[in-house]
Amino acid sequence: MLVELTDSVFGYFPARSVVRVDGTVRLAPRGCLGVFGPNGAGKTTLVRGLLGLLPPMGGIVRRSESTRRGYLPQHRAIDPHWPMSAVDAATLATSGRRRFGWAIGCGSRVRRSMDLLEVSPLAERPFAKLSGGQQQRVLLAGALADDPDLLVLDEPTDGLDLASRDLLLGVLRGAIAGGLGAVVVSHNADDILALCQTVLWLEPAREPDASSVAHEIPADSLYARLSAGRAP
Amino acid sequence: MSDAIQELFDLAQLLAPALLTAGAVGIAASVLGVFVILRREALAALALPQAVAVGSAIGFRLGFLTIPETITVHIGWPTLPPALAVTAATVGFLAWSRRSGAQDWLLPSMYVGALCCSILIVSGAGQHLADLQNLYVGVEVAVDAHVAEYTVPAALLAAALTAALWRRWLLLAQARAAAELAGLRPQRWDALFLGLLASIVLLGTNALGIAMVLAMLFLPAAAALPWARRLPFAMLASAGFSLLFLLGGLLASYAMDWPLSQSVGGLGFAIVLMSHGLSVMSRWK
Repeated sequence: MLVELTDSVFGYFPARSVVRVDGTVRLAPRGCLGVFGPNGAGKTTLVRGLLGLLPPMGGIVRRSESTRRGYLPQHRAIDPHWPMSAVDAATLATSGRRRFGWAIGCGSRVRRSMDLLEVSPLAERPFAKLSGGQQQRVLLAGALADDPDLLVLDEPTDGLDLASRDLLLGVLRGAIAGGLGAVVVSHNADDILALCQTVLWLEPAREPDASSVAHEIPADSLYARLSAGRAP
Repeated sequence: MSDAIQELFDLAQLLAPALLTAGAVGIAASVLGVFVILRREALAALALPQAVAVGSAIGFRLGFLTIPETITVHIGWPTLPPALAVTAATVGFLAWSRRSGAQDWLLPSMYVGALCCSILIVSGAGQHLADLQNLYVGVEVAVDAHVAEYTVPAALLAAALTAALWRRWLLLAQARAAAELAGLRPQRWDALFLGLLASIVLLGTNALGIAMVLAMLFLPAAAALPWARRLPFAMLASAGFSLLFLLGGLLASYAMDWPLSQSVGGLGFAIVLMSHGLSVMSRWK
């Protein structure tokens, strides 16, 4: 088990709870958990809680201390004004320990990972000049380079064409089959269905001071919920 | 012949502290300037020298009461304690403003407020007003050997530290969650960056004046960034541009009898415009 949340509440002190997890949610190796909800429902807060970057305000969070955690940012979240090569960008997303900002000894692993995602020829090109699909593959190569146990992916296929999306999802399915535990935050139900067995369905707060509630549902019930007009 | 050589030698000896200090502060400010621009910290960089000016104005008013005379003579910086205190308070205030999201109104307000307060503090004191105006405009750049002795190594150390940590600044700016997962505390690193910026601004303003420090912070980096594909190149090119601006400004100042800081800034601005114009043209091709 990589992480287990039981009735956990995440938010910001002093005492502003943003999201509450209803019941128990577990993520094991070779598992994938989708996070589906509208803007402002607390997806980012929930993800920070899952990664251990935000202590719970209530409930129980169990996590193995030895778990290597990684985070794949959206390619759109990268500021294109910073001059950096594709390799520099890939190194940003590696989960390895950093000394003075350098991800120690991960250069060859990043290159191998870039080979797998077919972006090696782009290694020295400016990251800002790559297409959205190429940028996302470069970042994913970095995120997978250190073999993380738990990887959170934020809108991994946002803005990608069909071919880039298929390649990226294929690599992710392979990584999950190889032992990765993934958390996929997405507005795209197809992505979640393509990768995940279960989904954390976020219901936004109905009142101003209330918190959003996250329920675990089977991924294959996602469309049924959406078509029944229960869009979160 | 020997008189001419002796004259040249004397001139070089006279100018050496100023040139060395300007070179070191130029390198440090230009390396830091790359990150000031990329991190969008320009308003903080503009507000900090005004805080130094407020501290200096307080120092001018209080005179040598603020520091024992033996130390004053040695470091050649009578206004150091109030300047340091006001700058440190400003850095603390800036760090707080980021956490509370108040920087959008605080930084421009601080800029204007400090600009006015520093003048008000010395108003009615003719010589102090002239000293403060020189601190702002930097028309007379005169650095004595004592000031160069600590400014040069401190500036070069700040430059080396900033450059060595380039991957860390990149990580903190682009992937904050990844930085936190790696065990970094982003707020502490932001405070370190502000501290480095404040140190260079404080040392540079004391030695060379506000105009020169700001010219060195913004112009070399602005000229270098359109051509940079990676950060190490951007830092190297920015440092190179800073030395070029200094040399060109010095020659222009000598030939045209112009004030040095303004010659450096004017030349730098012209090269920034040329650099961006050429960059746009190269993209058209």
